[in-house]
Amino acid sequence: MIENIIPKAFRRAGQFWSMLTFSGRIALIILLLLILLAIFAPLVSWHPHDASSGPALVPPGNGHIMGTDELGVDLWAMIAYGARVSIIVGLGTALLAGLGGSVLGIVAAYRGGLTDRIVMRLVDIMIALPDLPVMIVLAAFFGPSLRNIIIVLALFAWSRPARLVRSQMLVLKEQSYIKMAAHFGGGFFYLLRKHFLPELLPLIMVSMIRLAGMAIITEASLSFLGLGDPTARSWGLIINHAVNFSGIYFTSFWQWWLLYPLTFLTLLVASLAMFGRDIEHLADPRILR
Amino acid sequence: MPETLKRIAEYGLTLLIIITLNFALPRMMPGDPFMQLSGADGDVVEAYTAEQREYFRTYYGLDRPVTEQFIVYIGELSRGDLGSSYYFKEAVGTLIFRRLPWTLFLVTAATMLSLLAGLIIGSFAAWRRGRKTERFIYLAMVVLGEIPAFLVGLILLIILAAGLGWFPLSGAMTHFARFDSAWERAADIIYHAALPVLTLALARSGSFFLLVRNSLGTVLTRDYMRTARAKGLSKWKLRWRHAMRNAMLPLITRTGMQVGAIVGGAVLVENVFNYPGLGKLMQDAVFVRDYPLLQGIFMVLAVTVIVANLLADLLYRRLDPRITPNIKQ
Repeated sequence: MIENIIPKAFRRAGQFWSMLTFSGRIALIILLLLILLAIFAPLVSWHPHDASSGPALVPPGNGHIMGTDELGVDLWAMIAYGARVSIIVGLGTALLAGLGGSVLGIVAAYRGGLTDRIVMRLVDIMIALPDLPVMIVLAAFFGPSLRNIIIVLALFAWSRPARLVRSQMLVLKEQSYIKMAAHFGGGFFYLLRKHFLPELLPLIMVSMIRLAGMAIITEASLSFLGLGDPTARSWGLIINHAVNFSGIYFTSFWQWWLLYPLTFLTLLVASLAMFGRDIEHLADPRILR
Repeated sequence: MPETLKRIAEYGLTLLIIITLNFALPRMMPGDPFMQLSGADGDVVEAYTAEQREYFRTYYGLDRPVTEQFIVYIGELSRGDLGSSYYFKEAVGTLIFRRLPWTLFLVTAATMLSLLAGLIIGSFAAWRRGRKTERFIYLAMVVLGEIPAFLVGLILLIILAAGLGWFPLSGAMTHFARFDSAWERAADIIYHAALPVLTLALARSGSFFLLVRNSLGTVLTRDYMRTARAKGLSKWKLRWRHAMRNAMLPLITRTGMQVGAIVGGAVLVENVFNYPGLGKLMQDAVFVRDYPLLQGIFMVLAVTVIVANLLADLLYRRLDPRITPNIKQ
């Protein structure tokens, strides 16, 4: 059994790899490297990420390969551990919003009528709301803990998978084989397990990857404004601290304190965008190229 | 007409939700607003005795039933009264009005610029669809469209302002400067606005590019384009009179739909460049925990975005003769 699964997984991964474009492959490699960095953060960095380990604001070199910040905290350690924050935010939001949105989409399409109208109206409202200002207000009032940030992000992210899943469900519902199965007495959960979910799963997976990407990007924006969890420093929050250090551009501090987190964040965001586009096209050939 | 009314009702509902949210948030938040009043650094300080707090509760009407408070709140809002700021000790409305022109200037200039860029690059891409250059442009614009405005801004700031020193680092005008003429003053303002506007325009042009490219792409496959080509019309006429005109319609209305994203981008950009608009004020309000000010700015931004979306929606219905109720039936 087990000896079958591993080659199969490798073949699947190989198939997936061959379907990606050149930019998608590069993006995937960068993303995997960043995930490894997050997982092995304690191994790759030798200074504490939340305490001073040397003089403040020293340039790169001498044990601090990326220098230190205004409290003497090692920047490389902060960046390695900051990758964890991004992954937690991305995963948490994708799971919460992806599953919640999918369930709402499935229920809305299956039940139809009033349920459908209420869900769709909610989707419309979420789309019309200016998301960044609302998130700023919510984060300011409820306090920027990691949990609250994930909830706020999910609150704004569920409408996309809900809409996608609903429209796909509406198409499926009209398929004759599914109607047939329903006529033979297949209940909702039977149909869901046997027919709907296998068809919907790729769509849900892709939209969850997209959600994770968007959540990471939005968290960076919120952190940049100072609304990040101060106990779990993300890259956006490091940038926020650096930028708010008065007169930073008149010194040379920005050349490491700002530049390194900025480079990492840009890499991450650009990779997420390129990879996201690629898999979106794979999942939905109707989107023109 | 009933369709129009339905739309207005829908956006009205969204507005009502925002007002309710704004009303409920301070009442739902952990702790008590009077505890937070003096705790500027985030620590909860008990600055008032029990009697004082009781007095304030009566003074602000917090001892009355919630429904009554809500009606009073809506009445104040409809008179344009947004309360007064804890920190600046001024009416929130006055503060907002002082900062609003900067944000408006930034947003308008950036929208124009990104629209123009989107039109030029988007039509270029649509005519060369599938070629290598087009694929590269497409990828670059898509990635640019997803990079948040503050990253774009910081990169520009580091290279062009901190590194090369071509542009000022922050602010909207030279401090304490005296200008000999209005022209010099205007030049100073434009010089300071250049990077913020460029940043916001760059961050937004990706989505305009996609809109133009896709909308032109659809138009190009239409029958009337083939007819026009068969008539032997000049390339110029074909592109601008036939294709562009038809592709413009969704563009005009989608611009209205983009206002929410543009406002979000402006909030970020203003904080990168310390530009004295509403977005910067909003972050200041968060920083000093000035909740009435934060809510006032939020209210103004939200209403602007909702009205823009409604107008775009209605305009689309008016301009596109295919979307009318009597054809639907």
